[in-house]
Amino acid sequence: MTRSRGGITLATALTALWLAAGPSGQAPSPSTARGEWPHYTADLRGTKYSPLDQITARNFNQLEVAWRVKTDLLGTRPEYKLEGTPLMVGGVLYTTGGTRRAVIAIDARSGELLWMHRYPEGPRGANAPRQLSGRGVAYWTDGRGDNRVLYVTPGYHLIALDAKTGIPVPGFGKNGVVDLKAGVVYGDGKPIDLETGEIGLHSTPTVVRDTIIVGSSMKEGMTITTHNNTKGLVRAFDVRTGKLQWTFNTIPRPGEPGNDTWLNGSWAINGNTGVWTQITVDEELGLVYLPVESPSSDYYGGKRPGNNLYGESLVCVDLKTGKRKWHFQLVHHPIWDHDISSAPILLDVTIDGRMRKVVAQPSKQSFLYVFDRVTGEPVWPIVETAVPPGNVPGEWYAPTQPIPTRPAPYGRPGLRIPDEVIDFTPELRAQALENLKRYKWGGDFPFSGTLYNPPIVGDIKGLLGALNLGNASGGTNWPGAGADPETGIVYAQANLSALSPESVAPPPPGFSDLPYQAGVVGQPFRLREAAGTGTYADVVQRAAGAAPAAAPAPAPAPAPAAAAQPVQNFTAVEGLSIVKPPYGVLSAIDLTRGEVKWQVPHGDTPDAVRNHPKLKGPTIAKTGQAGSVGVLVTKTLVIAGDPQVTTTPEHPRGAMMRAYDKQTGAQVGAVWMPAPVSGSPMTYAIGGRQFIVIAVSGGNYSGEYIAFRLPETDADSGTR
Amino acid sequence: MRTPAPAERPRRLRRTPVLAVGLWWAVCAVGAAATQNPGGGGKTVWDGVFTAEQASRGEGTYREWCASCHGAALEGADMSPPLTGGAFTSNWNQLTVGDLFERIRTTMPLDRPGAVRGQQNADLIAFILRSNGWPAGAAELPRELTPLKQIAIETTAPK
Repeated sequence: MTRSRGGITLATALTALWLAAGPSGQAPSPSTARGEWPHYTADLRGTKYSPLDQITARNFNQLEVAWRVKTDLLGTRPEYKLEGTPLMVGGVLYTTGGTRRAVIAIDARSGELLWMHRYPEGPRGANAPRQLSGRGVAYWTDGRGDNRVLYVTPGYHLIALDAKTGIPVPGFGKNGVVDLKAGVVYGDGKPIDLETGEIGLHSTPTVVRDTIIVGSSMKEGMTITTHNNTKGLVRAFDVRTGKLQWTFNTIPRPGEPGNDTWLNGSWAINGNTGVWTQITVDEELGLVYLPVESPSSDYYGGKRPGNNLYGESLVCVDLKTGKRKWHFQLVHHPIWDHDISSAPILLDVTIDGRMRKVVAQPSKQSFLYVFDRVTGEPVWPIVETAVPPGNVPGEWYAPTQPIPTRPAPYGRPGLRIPDEVIDFTPELRAQALENLKRYKWGGDFPFSGTLYNPPIVGDIKGLLGALNLGNASGGTNWPGAGADPETGIVYAQANLSALSPESVAPPPPGFSDLPYQAGVVGQPFRLREAAGTGTYADVVQRAAGAAPAAAPAPAPAPAPAAAAQPVQNFTAVEGLSIVKPPYGVLSAIDLTRGEVKWQVPHGDTPDAVRNHPKLKGPTIAKTGQAGSVGVLVTKTLVIAGDPQVTTTPEHPRGAMMRAYDKQTGAQVGAVWMPAPVSGSPMTYAIGGRQFIVIAVSGGNYSGEYIAFRLPETDADSGTR
Repeated sequence: MRTPAPAERPRRLRRTPVLAVGLWWAVCAVGAAATQNPGGGGKTVWDGVFTAEQASRGEGTYREWCASCHGAALEGADMSPPLTGGAFTSNWNQLTVGDLFERIRTTMPLDRPGAVRGQQNADLIAFILRSNGWPAGAAELPRELTPLKQIAIETTAPK
């Protein structure tokens, strides 16, 4: 058997290496063109694109496991939600793992551990609003041998490590550490407590030239003790010294543009509005793109009348100064937890005969918002559309929301009722429509009124919530989308079945200064926290019968649920979602035309559907799966893993990593993994061979990085 | 900064002469799990592997330790997976009740793993099984791992 493997790629890489080396003797910049993966999203532009082409449609099914790194030994106990995407620079992988968020360096050929760095933070780590092992690290080199790995700890320290040894760099901050909590405020400018103050970050810092850009994240915003929590911010630091270069306040202060969108001076008594996902940069233009999340709280904004800039806005700032260049608010006065959940994507594309520099923002709504990234002008009209107000006491409602005209949604911004209601059998459909009577929806607004459907005060005895679909866990979440910079096509996975009935209710007495927050009247109060809260390596375990760890000390324990009546879950019938498949899709969106080029279900039909006793008769088309997964884009393929495990006639219990043809969306290969994908895949080449690394975990399977590559053939054995 | 010593976990494993036999069984069970199909007893969750009374006890444990994240109706939310319905049964299909027992024992609840003691854990699982429509039977679900590893979780009733 003959196979052309890596010849062109390697030659290209060598040429790039020679060109980049230049006359100064300086080492070339790390780059995907050299077979490396130097940023979380491959490059600074958020594309997750690598030009490697050894792994193709023809040979994808032959992929073998090259090595595995189990992360159980990092931290005091295993982690079941490993979200990292490693970087690869100079033959070494760098990433995070485990319940302490340790940093590890791994030999790219063999998977051997080269070094491990841990930074125990005790109670400060245990207080972290965002625990888990994080999404990975950033890399910097001066090209002369000073190579650094940068990451943010759960307790919000920025640490610079020597890439060769894993030892903190003495000249950076204080012994390699910058205390990111210093300078963070709440209210009208009060400093937060360094130990207990609420702020952290699970995404990676972004390194561009000699600058590190760091975002911020607070607790989950559904049930919070105060609206006056920590204020989000984005800061830039000098990568050599750790010295602060600039700060961008995501809640503008008096005198700053946008402050007047917080009516009655409410800027001073609200927080959140962090940038918790990946930040992208146009290095040539010197512009930084910040995807900003929701203000406090997620579903009730009665303490913050006004549109609340820069909540749920895409903000472009100057790389040198952090000064705002332009912004666009995707959702006015946010009360649905839309956030902006993933990296903006920068592409240069020809649209209507004109070369445009665009930024494309995927979203939970499954709208791809596309702007001229220099001016902030929408490339296609985004129309302010009147939306219905709600009736929660004290709430303030934005009269309109901006809705893109093109491209068409690549998922479901809302649920079209009854068109998109389950129809496997007439009985299931009838029951689903009956269930839907327990929720508020309808009216003239598109998607049967389930997009921007304002939360209600839900009651267990009546309507349980306002039905929404493209928010919270819908559409594209943190793993984000990818793109091919050569063709201008964006590839995005989207969750199409994340029904969210939004309801608010008064919290238990003494718990919060908000009159309403997520909850249903008559249902036991439920503290809703970020994934992994309470799992940090140094968490002090709570006593039996005590409130969950993150509940503030003065608050009374949420009422024990003994007396409460469990509520039936009306978003499902007989264990099946009331939403018609597909549950999850992968789409290609062609920005040169502003159109969805293709869309296919992603993921096997779940066992519970395939084996359902009521579905023995009807043939069920592939449903795809609910969940959020990242994509990897290579020269010819789009690669993404299944978010759920299945057991099918084609494969034993497990999840598949799938390859799709970029042109058609046809699945061209799939390899078995022992657990669902929980981080975005990446690729690199070393020794003439292309590898794909993917983080898997979930269910009973603890975190593991798995590297795949093609089997070594006789013909290849001489190349190493 | 110093690392605090990891919190002492209560040890609940009682040493008895049965242990040696248990180990032998465990080896078999591990082998069985690797082939995706528990051997030996060949029981599944469709065989009435818990009692109704045990499930009721487990409901109390669920309300105390689990409902605050996984929801009053086991429906899950945000980052806490549902413990009922298709998402749950698909996730655990082809694994064993023992796998679920170990996952809970070693990691749940998130902020106090190990707090749900052996018997409570078995009761809790009985409640979860009942909530997913699997039938109660005459004998209680045991609290020892080895027999639990012999009970397969299957989304569909064996023919």
